Amino acid sequence: MTRVIAITGKGGTGKTAIAALLIRYLTKGDRVVLAIDADPDTNLPETLGCEVEKGIGDMREFMLTQRDNLPPDVNKESIFESKIYEVLSEMPRYDLLVMGRPEGSGCYCYANNLLRGIMDRLVKNYDVVIIDTAAGLEHFSRKIIRDIDDLIVITDGSRRGLRTAERIRELIRELEANVRNLYVIANKVTDANKDKITEIAEELDLELIGAVKVDKMIEERDLLGLPLFDLPDDSVAVEEVGNIAKKLEL
Amino acid sequence: MADEFPFEISPMFEGERVRKDGMYVELAGPKSKGFELVKAVGMDEIEDGKFTLIGPDLSEMEEGSRHPIAMIYRVAGELVEPDLEAIVERRNHDFQNYIQGVMHLNQRYDIWIRVSKDAVKKGLNSFEQVAKATMMLFKNELPFIEKIETTYITDLAEAEKELEAAMESYKIRDERTRNLHDEDVDVFYGCTLCQSFAPTNVCVVTPDRISLCGAINWFDGRAAAKVDPEGPQFAIEKGEVIDAVGGEYSGVNDLAKSLSNGEYDRIKIHSFFEFPHTSCGCFEVVGFYIPEVDGIGWVDRDFTATAPNGLPFSTMAGQTGGGKQIVGFLGIGINYFRSPKFIEADGGWERVVWMPKNLKDKVLVDIPEDIVDKIATEEDVTDLESLKAFLIGKDHPILERWVEEEEEEEEEAEEAIEDIAAAAPGMMQMPAQAMMAGAVAPMAMAGGSGGGVKVILKNAKVSIDRIIIKKSE
Ligand SMILES: Nc1ncnc2c1ncn2[C@@H]1O[C@H](COP(=O)(O)OP(=O)(O)OP(=O)(O)O)[C@@H](O)[C@H]1O
Ligand code: SF4
Ligand SMILES: [Mg+2]
Repeated sequence: MTRVIAITGKGGTGKTAIAALLIRYLTKGDRVVLAIDADPDTNLPETLGCEVEKGIGDMREFMLTQRDNLPPDVNKESIFESKIYEVLSEMPRYDLLVMGRPEGSGCYCYANNLLRGIMDRLVKNYDVVIIDTAAGLEHFSRKIIRDIDDLIVITDGSRRGLRTAERIRELIRELEANVRNLYVIANKVTDANKDKITEIAEELDLELIGAVKVDKMIEERDLLGLPLFDLPDDSVAVEEVGNIAKKLEL
Repeated sequence: MADEFPFEISPMFEGERVRKDGMYVELAGPKSKGFELVKAVGMDEIEDGKFTLIGPDLSEMEEGSRHPIAMIYRVAGELVEPDLEAIVERRNHDFQNYIQGVMHLNQRYDIWIRVSKDAVKKGLNSFEQVAKATMMLFKNELPFIEKIETTYITDLAEAEKELEAAMESYKIRDERTRNLHDEDVDVFYGCTLCQSFAPTNVCVVTPDRISLCGAINWFDGRAAAKVDPEGPQFAIEKGEVIDAVGGEYSGVNDLAKSLSNGEYDRIKIHSFFEFPHTSCGCFEVVGFYIPEVDGIGWVDRDFTATAPNGLPFSTMAGQTGGGKQIVGFLGIGINYFRSPKFIEADGGWERVVWMPKNLKDKVLVDIPEDIVDKIATEEDVTDLESLKAFLIGKDHPILERWVEEEEEEEEEAEEAIEDIAAAAPGMMQMPAQAMMAGAVAPMAMAGGSGGGVKVILKNAKVSIDRIIIKKSE
């Protein structure tokens, strides 16, 4: 069975960084991962250290603009599926898909409907799927993938950050979304605010599954523009994400 | 059954993908060449079960390499005819995916195949095994195939040579499918995807009418309904023909009634004025009646300026969407312009007076030659006055309607409502719920009467929500 994990949270809290480190952990073990960057800004490839030219959005646009030029009786789902495969970056032990280009003004009902079917089938080929969403795009990722096992909210140390997690919990209820579990990871934590975060999380009845400290090595790599995927094993962030993965039974 | 093969064969493996890590070879695909083709041939032209390979076999290919592949199946049988080629060919995709360790994507000249390392390890070492398994599946699952012979080509030059011939076959086939019309089929397809936001909208997709969003043609409906008959796209039995020209069928009416919760109970697929198709808001193009010239203009999503009636796409789209039958506006997909039944009930292209230049260019070759220059664009006209002058100057067939109207007008003068001041563009709104009893043109303008507009209502039962009449300046 494929485990589908989506990562969300406020802007700049570290969604992409944690996603990359989870992928790093999983591929070092012997899991085959599908990484999906659902943020139209597309940061995950860089953080993982791979290059991507085109995304699902471009292929969806291709289907929209080319549909009248295709032979009338071709199977569009099968063409679309192949186009999605074309933009899949195949890396050792993981494949990466970026969403990229958002919807334009036309009608996307049919294209998105095909896409959901294609993704349903594709997802089954992997042990774990990690979706990095943009802030506030919980709906968006659900448009392409119907069922999510774990939704992880990344928060910084602020009460506001944790409130975001609370709000997302409400949202899931309202949407009657197929999200099985909701977890919170505190990121860029300092010794000063660590206990306070735990306290607030308890108060809000949120399941805090880890606290990642501010990591000097990440800051250094940020400055040099190096991918986080190659962080050494003794980075504090790598270690804590490892603990989190074990708690998630990944 | 499949004991002779070193792999398992089952629909269970259909969604199985071969990742780059686990791939032994890649065949055709975006970085190489290839195609698949099914040809119907005579019974004595082929030898059943025969397989020929031109080029290197799987065992001669290096791990991780990429090669072209052409797959040609020649099939025969009493019931086999060229019309079936496309349907049979489509199954190659299914059958090859049934083979564990073989991934087949796409179709025709875009096929993309991978064989997994695992499959090779388990003994898959020749294309003959793949071909034999595929032939077996063809004969088992499509019993009308009595004989089948297969040729695979992995030699680039040979494959390219055969591709040329294949392209010719595809072309002939496409011409045939383009010639499929409403009267040739017993089922249409419906789509209710957009009912989530337009609860009474029902899209009816026929060979001569693509969905208004432009995404779903009759073949797409057929493909989707076959995979999931309960899904958003489903079959509609045509039933009795009620109006062949307007495109009214009892089966469509029945379905319209139930799916719209009784909101409306008649649809004429090729009619603009009478029981028009509903619009959910997804349409690529909206048609709008221009009473002043008794013609129809069309404006697409990409045109941001205003149409000659003074309204932009967005305003008219707002009026048209929502899944209701709105007389005076109609949402369509661009491909509907290419249909020989394009608003047939209302005079087809002869009724069209205006389109944005870009849209017109897109469908230029599909506009009848004698009318193409008579349809104005934003480059020719900007408002109703200049549109009228343009139509007169070009002797647009719409002028004939004006003459008719004038003649009738004299006879029915007492019914005419005189001298309503010229409606400023767009300020005179169409009655929201006009019920036209028979008459095609609900309103007509007396040609050439300068500033004044005469509105003539013939045999009309009209209930009007709102008419805004403004004084002319
Ligand atoms: N534990 C950490 N220690 C130090 N720096 C970190 C840590 N986690 C993330 N960062 C840095 O913080 C910045 C923001 O992180 P990241 O891009 O992952 O956030 P995000 O939530 O994905 O942002 P966005 O909302 O823009 O997508 C990056 O420069 C990242 O390298
Ligand atoms: S507009 Fe397109 S997607 Fe929407 S209901 Fe009609 S056919 Fe279906
Ligand atoms: Mg990010």
